[in-house]
Amino acid sequence: MDRTKSFVITKWASYILLSITALIWLLPAVYAFTTSFKTQSDVMQTGFRLLPASWVMDNYARVLSNSSSAPIVRWFLNSVLISTTHTILMVIVVSLAAFGYARLDFKYRDTMFFTVLAISMFPAVVNIIPNYMIVHRLGWVNTPLAVIVPGIAAVGNVFLVRQFMTGLPKSYDESARMDGASDFTIYLKIIVPLIKPVLIVTSIFSFTGSWNDFLWPTIVLNDVRQLTITAGMLLLQDIYGNYMMMGQLMASAFLAMIPTSLLFLFAQKYFIESLNLNTGLKG
Amino acid sequence: MNIKKKLLFGAATLSMSLLAGCGNSNEIVMWTPLTGEDGQIMDQMIEEYNDTDPEFPVSHVVTPDLYTQIYTVMNTGEGTPDLAIIHADRVEGFVRFNMLKPFDDLMGNHPNLVEDNYIEQAWTAGEVDGSQYTIPLDVHSNVLYYNEDLLAEYGVEHFLDDDVLTFDEIMSLEGELDEGHYAINTSLMSWVLLAQAVNLGGDISDDEGNPTIDTPEMREAVQALVEVEEAGLMTPQGEDGYAMFQGQTVLFSSDGTWSSLAFDMVEDLNYGVTNIYSFDSDTWHNRGSSHLFGMLTNEDRTEEKEEGVAEFLDWVYENSVTWAEAGQIPASREVYESPDFENYQQSFFTKSQEQIDSLLIFDYEYYGYVEAAINLVIMDMVYGNISIEDGLAAAQQEVEDLVAQGHGADIDVDLDELDLEE
Amino acid sequence: MDKSMSQEGLALEKKKKFNLSQWIFIGPHFIFFIVFILFPMIYGFYASFTRWNLISSPTWVGLQNYQTILGDPTSSFYRQFRRGLINTLVFVAGTVPLQVIIPLALAIMLQHRGIKGKGLFQAIFYIPGLISVSAAAIVWLLIFNPRLGPVNNLLGSEVTWVVNQPYAWMVIFLMTLWGSIGGNLVIYRSAMSGISRDLYEAADIDGASGTVKFFKITIPMIKFPLLYTIVMSTAGAFNVYAQPLMVTQGGPEQTTHVLMMYIRTLAFGQGQSVAGMAAAMSILLGLVIIVIAAFQFRIMYHNAK
Repeated sequence: MDRTKSFVITKWASYILLSITALIWLLPAVYAFTTSFKTQSDVMQTGFRLLPASWVMDNYARVLSNSSSAPIVRWFLNSVLISTTHTILMVIVVSLAAFGYARLDFKYRDTMFFTVLAISMFPAVVNIIPNYMIVHRLGWVNTPLAVIVPGIAAVGNVFLVRQFMTGLPKSYDESARMDGASDFTIYLKIIVPLIKPVLIVTSIFSFTGSWNDFLWPTIVLNDVRQLTITAGMLLLQDIYGNYMMMGQLMASAFLAMIPTSLLFLFAQKYFIESLNLNTGLKG
Repeated sequence: MNIKKKLLFGAATLSMSLLAGCGNSNEIVMWTPLTGEDGQIMDQMIEEYNDTDPEFPVSHVVTPDLYTQIYTVMNTGEGTPDLAIIHADRVEGFVRFNMLKPFDDLMGNHPNLVEDNYIEQAWTAGEVDGSQYTIPLDVHSNVLYYNEDLLAEYGVEHFLDDDVLTFDEIMSLEGELDEGHYAINTSLMSWVLLAQAVNLGGDISDDEGNPTIDTPEMREAVQALVEVEEAGLMTPQGEDGYAMFQGQTVLFSSDGTWSSLAFDMVEDLNYGVTNIYSFDSDTWHNRGSSHLFGMLTNEDRTEEKEEGVAEFLDWVYENSVTWAEAGQIPASREVYESPDFENYQQSFFTKSQEQIDSLLIFDYEYYGYVEAAINLVIMDMVYGNISIEDGLAAAQQEVEDLVAQGHGADIDVDLDELDLEE
Repeated sequence: MDKSMSQEGLALEKKKKFNLSQWIFIGPHFIFFIVFILFPMIYGFYASFTRWNLISSPTWVGLQNYQTILGDPTSSFYRQFRRGLINTLVFVAGTVPLQVIIPLALAIMLQHRGIKGKGLFQAIFYIPGLISVSAAAIVWLLIFNPRLGPVNNLLGSEVTWVVNQPYAWMVIFLMTLWGSIGGNLVIYRSAMSGISRDLYEAADIDGASGTVKFFKITIPMIKFPLLYTIVMSTAGAFNVYAQPLMVTQGGPEQTTHVLMMYIRTLAFGQGQSVAGMAAAMSILLGLVIIVIAAFQFRIMYHNAK
């Protein structure tokens, strides 16, 4: 099959389309990146130039020195702790719940799931007040728990994993059940391995979501040493946008995305591996 | 596996140590909305204060969304800070809901904390029904930056001889400017508009506290801006006028005192500061606001600590020249009259009593609604997308509807109903 | 396919037990859900029947907020809700289909066995989503800036993009897609990895065209994840807020002023909070989202049969 003409045609057509889209997607990022090396007067000069007139490191230097009085290392450790714990808990809680809603038979199962999903779809605007009250009652204000736990309630991830589990043929767990396997064994040994790619995706989403969140952390963590790095950096730097200090804004945006980008590239390796492992699963 | 275990273990120990970090009851916890560079300058000032070894050191917490956070903690009644920096237009509302404790008793022991020592408008913004609820830190105001080189190029430096640019002077540039050059931009347009309305004798509220936006004065003020735009002298719609000033294609930029931070970064930009333009050179105003220190209501705070707060404010009165670094005008007479302050550009606004009087601080309880409603329509009015009448009428109605939501509930707010003691 | 459907039918007919076993699985999440979503939601629901400035206790006003928003054309809240909802619907219609179609197309191309550098392509599509919205908005504003940007300076466009319609929407759509296709792309790729090669090879032997394979094999095999991305992209688009705020501030003439911007301004705007009205608007918005989601579920399941 591989050597047919259509294979070659579709291959090159795909390359071309992918490359064009990639180029469009890349350009703003490249532009942002080169801007982070421009002086303020260079940015504001009439006319478009992709590259800086002269490359300067001032923006990065200024962003980093701005933060010199701030406990950046501490914030970074806080974030690593918070996002990692959140992600681990999330994957466990979510995959268990999704298994329950997708693979177990119990009364009102779907009604229950769709009710939960529907309720979670109401935009949460004034909820920040009751949420704070709860976290406060639990004594979590100014502790990492205040930012680790509430997000686990999100229903979106359960929905995502449930959808993948629903798509798997029933015969898989039925034959295992026949062999006397418990629900938990089926969950752990059969279903979870089959949906590994989507669990990796869920972890990436959870980690970056938790890493990038800033409004809630600043509400529940008002001790400066307890802040996450994203919230802390925003306190130091959100002003660049107001001042149109574009170079510094871009520099701080790039510095801020280094950890999540590295995580993505790291996770992507496993993601793609697990995709390859999965190929061949029958419908 | 091993790495995972280590990670988990590390996470657990770290979380223990994080949990252990707790506040010290002798600290004065102060919340401010000072994100960015301002916050760091405030940190620096507080460090200087704490180095004097006070009985009650100050701990500074920057909050990106100060008012949301204040509402949140006051709803639960715990975690309330001792001190907060709030804006002038918030005072009346806060007082109405019993969220601020007056300084009246403390002022007796601290002779520095009196009206005469501060910029008057900033001081009186904290006065409600004869009690003093806040002590001012600064005034931050609208200011007109001008490009020295462009003024020289067009030979119009004389516009600023009397320190006031007038609409007539602006209009005299019609047809005189090179292509791509403009006279004024649209930065902080709503602030400029409010100042113009006051220049014409208007105000944003009447004596009964009703909003007055759709007024002859306001219409005339918008009309003047529309004329500048129609003469091709205003930066075009969709352009960032602020960036254009930095790109040296616009003569005047109506910005904030704090914007000089960014302008200083443009190497070859020679700029100066003057008053926001006006209709004639006898009457002019610069719309500003003020950062005010207020003690949020908190039953747990001891009298000794409140004494400590007053001592801190005493110190700020004498030593806040550091704060001028942030581009703001310190409200304290001791500071703004000091020779140190003369080095700062914004000392322009304190060089005479007349200049000080031009600082316009609105303390109308519903000011926030007014500014937001005007912002929603001002660009469309100035660029002729909607008529002035429609724009102002919509803004007027919007503010009235919002005000009715606050009053209409006849919230004779029962003070016991507030969950503050809990 | 038929086989698995009938098995599902069988399972449904089986006697269902209401026992403890399922609680081991759904219990942990359910508890978090009750504490951190359901309870705050009930509170928000209650708030929508009150006048509340977030400071004093809420004052019960019954259905008054809803009556104003839905039935009083003279009120600015009525106009804000209407205008905001219409603008939000434009945003949903403009972005959601592309948020599904573009990553789906990219995922299919990335499935091609001849393509190398899949990881690189995927990273290029995903990483823009990691840039903060404020920085992203400023880059896109620079790109479409008439004086500084490439679109007007290199491509010779004469349009002042962000202040004229439909161009203002186009900038917002483009920026949104730029930051959001990566998520759906990795979901589609995980879903497609589960499809057996045998199915395609069998279709090839039957001489099926690419289009036929796409509609007869790929789509049915990924229908559950696909439904997820459609429902969640739609719900996310209804909550849009940051992009129009940063790019156009709702202009020109409030044509990009989406409902969530009005709601947030009411609750946490410059003046005193009007949280009761904001809560009522968000409940109404939530109902719209649920109705549309239910509709999407119906269509997808109906077509699947």
